Amino acid sequence: MPSLKQITTKIKSVRSTRRIMGAMKLIAAVRLQKAQAALMAYRPYSDAYRDVVLNVAALSESEDHPLLRVPEEKTNLHVLFFTSDRGLCGSFNSALIRNMQHYVGEQKEVSGSIKLSFVGRRGRDYFSRNGVATGKYYTGVNEKNSRKFSEELAVALTEEFRSGESDEIVLAYNHFVSAISQKMTFERLLPLSSQETDDGGAESSSDYIFEPEKEQIIGSILPKYVQVRIERAMNESLTSEHAARMTAMENATSNADEVIAKLTLLFNKTRQAIITTELMDIVNGTEAQRKGGNE
Amino acid sequence: MAEKLRLKIITPEKLVFDGEVEELVAPGQMGEFGVLPGHVPFLSVLFPGRLRFKTEESGENTLIIHGGLADVKDDTISILTDQSEDPEEVDVAAARKDAETFQREIDEFQDAEPSQREELDKKLRIARARVGE
Repeated sequence: MPSLKQITTKIKSVRSTRRIMGAMKLIAAVRLQKAQAALMAYRPYSDAYRDVVLNVAALSESEDHPLLRVPEEKTNLHVLFFTSDRGLCGSFNSALIRNMQHYVGEQKEVSGSIKLSFVGRRGRDYFSRNGVATGKYYTGVNEKNSRKFSEELAVALTEEFRSGESDEIVLAYNHFVSAISQKMTFERLLPLSSQETDDGGAESSSDYIFEPEKEQIIGSILPKYVQVRIERAMNESLTSEHAARMTAMENATSNADEVIAKLTLLFNKTRQAIITTELMDIVNGTEAQRKGGNE
Repeated sequence: MAEKLRLKIITPEKLVFDGEVEELVAPGQMGEFGVLPGHVPFLSVLFPGRLRFKTEESGENTLIIHGGLADVKDDTISILTDQSEDPEEVDVAAARKDAETFQREIDEFQDAEPSQREELDKKLRIARARVGE
């Protein structure tokens, strides 16, 4: 049985860990709230942008703009994989990585080559050790600089697609459903094929007026659209990360509470046992003395 | 045919306006254009400038937008812009100064990169929209 001193030390250490986790939970909750508000505001914008772009794409031929080009064969696939930089967010990263691994395995059979780029350190750390071709790597993305990062990424990816270095670009990120649920999503960024967007009802090209010319419009909105989609994915992923961290820290705090309760019980039992032993000593002592005196 | 137009002004930060309007005038790249109910499907790239629309309740409204897109379809206008500002909250004196600075920079850097020129041009237009020119 551990000594009283050992138990108190242990309780103290669990308490201080609990305090840290409690603080992390609060921080995550505040950041989640902010990120969620930003995301909810961003969604209508990016959805509206997508509708406009898909509409234009549906009315265009794939020769109209290099970004509408549909490759005959899927050969070079490029996946942009969003994970978090830091841990302590439960199964957030491990679930993403597991799904990603599965996806890579699947795609290896269909595509000629597959390349991964990363936003977030965790994903890169894992895949750089696992023999998958890796491209760009971004770290330190947060709510404040996501626009800047997404602009940079958009330029790089658009250029890569235009030059034919990649035939298909996919975003892989956690879609934020609610504070307790996030869903991993694979979303094709480029090419923007007009076949997919054929949801009936699209007006024929002649009914739609474009100002300036359609080609110019596509040229000016498509790169921006790529940026908007990337920023959206960043926001979704960041919000999901905070939510996952908050949940993980909440669980950790309540686990710590349980451990503290168990240890306190053990402490009390041990203390009582010691008192009993000491009492027994005294009783035995006096008993022995009395017996000795009688003789 | 609907009597009214539905206008949505959306920025990455918030839904600035969502409601019925009678008429809209927007700063298109090919010149200012107006939209009335029953307009044909129309898509235009917008310059930074002043967006004007008329509603039943508040009459004539003006908003400064930082460029973007206007999509008109089925009597619904979606304006997608990076940022919008209320003209009454703008510091006109500072904007006038900015406009002069940007104009001078454009004049000085005739051989600047096209992307830089575009950037400057956009800033100048925003400044001018703030001044109200």
